[in-house]
Amino acid sequence: MRDIFAGLYNKIVGFFSNVEQKESDESKNVARNRLKLVLMQDRTNLNPALLERMRGELIDLLSKYVEMDKEALDLNFENDGDSIALMLSIPVIRAKEEAEIEAALKAEDEAKKELEDKLKALEEMEEADEEDDDETEEDDSEEDDDNDESDDVEENDSEVDVTDNIENSENQSQNDENAEKHHHKKKKRKKKKKSLINIPDIIEVNEVSEESEDAEEISENAETSSENQSEDNEKSE
Amino acid sequence: MTGKVLVITSGKGGVGKTTTTANIGTALARAGKKVVLIDTDLGLRNLDLLLGLENRIVYTIVDVVEERCKLKQALVKDKKNLDLCLLAAAQTRDKSAITGEQLKKICDELKEENDYIIIDCPAGIEQGFENATTPATEAIVVTTPEMSAVRDADRIIGLLESKEHIESHKLLINRVRPNLIKSNDMMSVDDVQEILSCSIIGVVPEDTGIITSTNKGEPIVNDEKSLAGQAYQNIAKRILGEEVPFLDIDTPQDLVSKIKKFFIDLLAKLGK
Repeated sequence: MRDIFAGLYNKIVGFFSNVEQKESDESKNVARNRLKLVLMQDRTNLNPALLERMRGELIDLLSKYVEMDKEALDLNFENDGDSIALMLSIPVIRAKEEAEIEAALKAEDEAKKELEDKLKALEEMEEADEEDDDETEEDDSEEDDDNDESDDVEENDSEVDVTDNIENSENQSQNDENAEKHHHKKKKRKKKKKSLINIPDIIEVNEVSEESEDAEEISENAETSSENQSEDNEKSE
Repeated sequence: MTGKVLVITSGKGGVGKTTTTANIGTALARAGKKVVLIDTDLGLRNLDLLLGLENRIVYTIVDVVEERCKLKQALVKDKKNLDLCLLAAAQTRDKSAITGEQLKKICDELKEENDYIIIDCPAGIEQGFENATTPATEAIVVTTPEMSAVRDADRIIGLLESKEHIESHKLLINRVRPNLIKSNDMMSVDDVQEILSCSIIGVVPEDTGIITSTNKGEPIVNDEKSLAGQAYQNIAKRILGEEVPFLDIDTPQDLVSKIKKFFIDLLAKLGK
């Protein structure tokens, strides 16, 4: 009985006043939000995955300069008369201290520079190796010429691989490829490997690729090279 | 006189293009203008039904293009208004039967003696759409407040903007239900306008009178009591350059809402 009266009462009250619903539940708002997203995709060629990635990159970029509410970033494509405009709306929580911004930017610039230096060093290694190859080519017989050429190609690949290792030191698969390639050229490469390994940062790679044989070799060689370095230091003293 | 060529398009089917064409055409003719309505939905003609002229079609637009008859022979005069003419589509062919250029030629000829040429565009974005939009200089995009219609309208607006000969395009929001908008179950006029960013030429409410008027073959503008009829009337006035405020379509239609409004107004008065 009570239920009937309660229901009746609610009906009468509802008759005269609209009960306020939660904004997010209302189907019109759901429709509006879905439409906005869908139209963004329709108007440009960005599928949801690409849009997400763009959004993430934008958030990272802008976070460097202002402290913002990352969840509330609103990204919209709008018809602006004749053209489509990308509208971005970000609630800013607070401004970052100038010192904070500059420190972060400086760290980033330094990291970039380090990377550039490593690449440069590698390139120089590459050139040096090419010169060595030229010398060995002259000495070897004609049959070996073919091998050398293929080795050159492999060598470049391996150096590219090593560069990638420095950049993506977490990339296991790259290390595995590297390991295989180094395997093939073990005999001819021992001399060159040592020179490559003199670059101290390659030792970082050790920490990541503990499973690959290559890592073991590198660590062995690193130890010997560090021993050599310490010997040199002693000698210089 | 040089007439204006106006195309009524939408992308989505069933949103009210043909109804809009029939009603705007009739309203403009009632205002004293010479109007020709062209049905370009070849193979699926309907404009003749809405005007009640289906038994009077002898020649169609395909006959004109293929030179089996003169243009004047194919124009069917309206029952009630002699300033209104219909150029019907062929029911036995399809949209590949004519090209945009052929339609443009017909419109150029009609422009000389008529004030308005209104082209009823078929649904879709293929040959039919291309044909219908080739001769036009202005467009009205019809949409309803539903997701699929708005999405298609957005595509159509994009396509129209890339056509240089179409100088302006306006939005007509059709089949609006104010009680659903109030309960936030339907997107409002402002929502749709914001999403499509297009200026609005009119808002037409959902009206059961449309069904009756189609059944009888008499456009609803002739019924001065209906809200939809009044809305179409206002749209015609705006096309003629008059500034007309938007209708208050919030007036309750059904009995329950009327009683509710009565009591609420009563309570409000007592409260004062």
